[in-house]
Amino acid sequence: MICIYLILSLSLNLLVGYTGLLSLCHAAFYGIGAYASTLLITKFGLNFFLALPAGVGITMILSLLVAYPSLRLKGDYFILTAFGFQIIVFSVLYNWVGLTRGPYGIPGIPKPSLLGFEFDSLPLFLLLSAVFALLVFFVLYRISASPFGRVLKAIREDELVASALGKNVANFKIWAFMIAGGIAAIAGSLYAGYVTYIDPTSFTLDESIFILAIILVGGSGNIRGPIVGTIFMIILPEALRFLGIPDTIAPNVRQMIYGALLVFLMFFRAQGIAGEYKFE
Amino acid sequence: MNISLNENLAKKKRRFFKVDTQQKPLYTDLKSSKSSCVLELKDVTKSFGGLVAVGSASLAFSKGKITGLIGPNGAGKTTVFNLITGFLKPDSGIICFNGYTINGRPPWQIAQLGIGRLFQDVRVFDKLTALENVLLAKKEQPGENPLVSLLRRKSALDAEEKNMDEAKKWLKFVELEEKEDSLAENLSYGQQKLLAIARLLAGGFEVLLLDEPTAGINPQMVKSVLDVIRRLAQEGKTVVVIEHNMSVIMEISDWVYFMDEGKVVTFGLPKEILGDPEVRKAYLGI
Repeated sequence: MICIYLILSLSLNLLVGYTGLLSLCHAAFYGIGAYASTLLITKFGLNFFLALPAGVGITMILSLLVAYPSLRLKGDYFILTAFGFQIIVFSVLYNWVGLTRGPYGIPGIPKPSLLGFEFDSLPLFLLLSAVFALLVFFVLYRISASPFGRVLKAIREDELVASALGKNVANFKIWAFMIAGGIAAIAGSLYAGYVTYIDPTSFTLDESIFILAIILVGGSGNIRGPIVGTIFMIILPEALRFLGIPDTIAPNVRQMIYGALLVFLMFFRAQGIAGEYKFE
Repeated sequence: MNISLNENLAKKKRRFFKVDTQQKPLYTDLKSSKSSCVLELKDVTKSFGGLVAVGSASLAFSKGKITGLIGPNGAGKTTVFNLITGFLKPDSGIICFNGYTINGRPPWQIAQLGIGRLFQDVRVFDKLTALENVLLAKKEQPGENPLVSLLRRKSALDAEEKNMDEAKKWLKFVELEEKEDSLAENLSYGQQKLLAIARLLAGGFEVLLLDEPTAGINPQMVKSVLDVIRRLAQEGKTVVVIEHNMSVIMEISDWVYFMDEGKVVTFGLPKEILGDPEVRKAYLGI
């Protein structure tokens, strides 16, 4: 799961950290990717490695639904729009029973296989997801260190000045959404192949908030922050197991520790552990 | 070769703006000036609710000339800049650039056509380095396409290297070469102003709209900035300066417009304008 969350946080960082769009619908892209590739595998018999890019393509196209409003809306209004998109996607996944089986979810998703080789054990799946995470890291590293990434940062800093310098802000935002959505879809496809069962509750607003929390804790605006945040937020619950908290109250105590850490960070290091950009 | 490039550009512009190519550029005779009019506003009006920020204003700016725009606070000077650069849409009137109507075009298109702007409040990109700030001004960089960036096409890498050299040259020009790796937010106000000027110069704009370029910078640097402005005009750039410092206006302007309450009150040589009793009363209070 750490590789899946790494992919999710790295992709969200392109929107939040680089472009300055506090997007609360990343789990929607994650879910669309998971459902798109799963349906292509289960209904059309496509191989995972074909269904994954197709799922990425579908998610990139659907990401335009939230990219376009973002061109006109800023700040709180954009956050509410993204929130609305998240709710709509969840509702569609939950209620379009004919396609998604709604709350029953889709069980029995085949494990990924390539040329007869099946990634059916945990170490093999870890290897597969690590390869994808590395690939995503490489892609995002190149993009963010390029003139494209520089323009995204400029848009984050001052959209009007960026446009006064001849930058087509709308185009850049659309690109950012499509790339971030497409990469989140990779995580969705991997998740479906990993757990072999998906239902809409894995792609809720809570999940979007969790991915955003990774960015806020680790830091945004550079490539290090999401990596630090993912390690921190995924490994922390495991580390907390060693505190010897009774099982009956452990989940609640862990949530409280999470919350307290977030409050602490916002007070003392608002840009996150390794971030360079602080949300105003 | 140049002719064909110009023809291509003209074709592109014609397609882009869908304007009648037979339409002659609007032109207001700038008294004895023989230089051609590059930018013109004809009867432009902009209101905010009941407040007329710019009322039926007509102004023209010539190639290779520095035009001062003066007037008391709230006269509509910055609104004129906002209208030219597309940040505001005029309610009526025509804004014409090199013969093409640019009314209602988005700011990025207007900037790409060659109209650049220095903002009154410095507005540098705080979390970017000085070098990155200047690099951003360069138009049509191949690496701004994410696919090109991803594939690291040679053309993009070469262009980036060239742009980097050019950006360093502009930083050196404003004496900020030692600050190229500093975040813009860590520079002093004066240095940020110089950085914004370097960014504007790096953009290679044909028309430069400078909103109080000397405010907040030390007298020695003011001299350098004024030299730069003069040199830009000599190179054929069209420069429009909003300035409250009358000595600066007197020193660099070829022509001056005086605005008050959204209207162009008078226009002329700097000496004429500053000697005008109406101007002295409205602006200088004497």
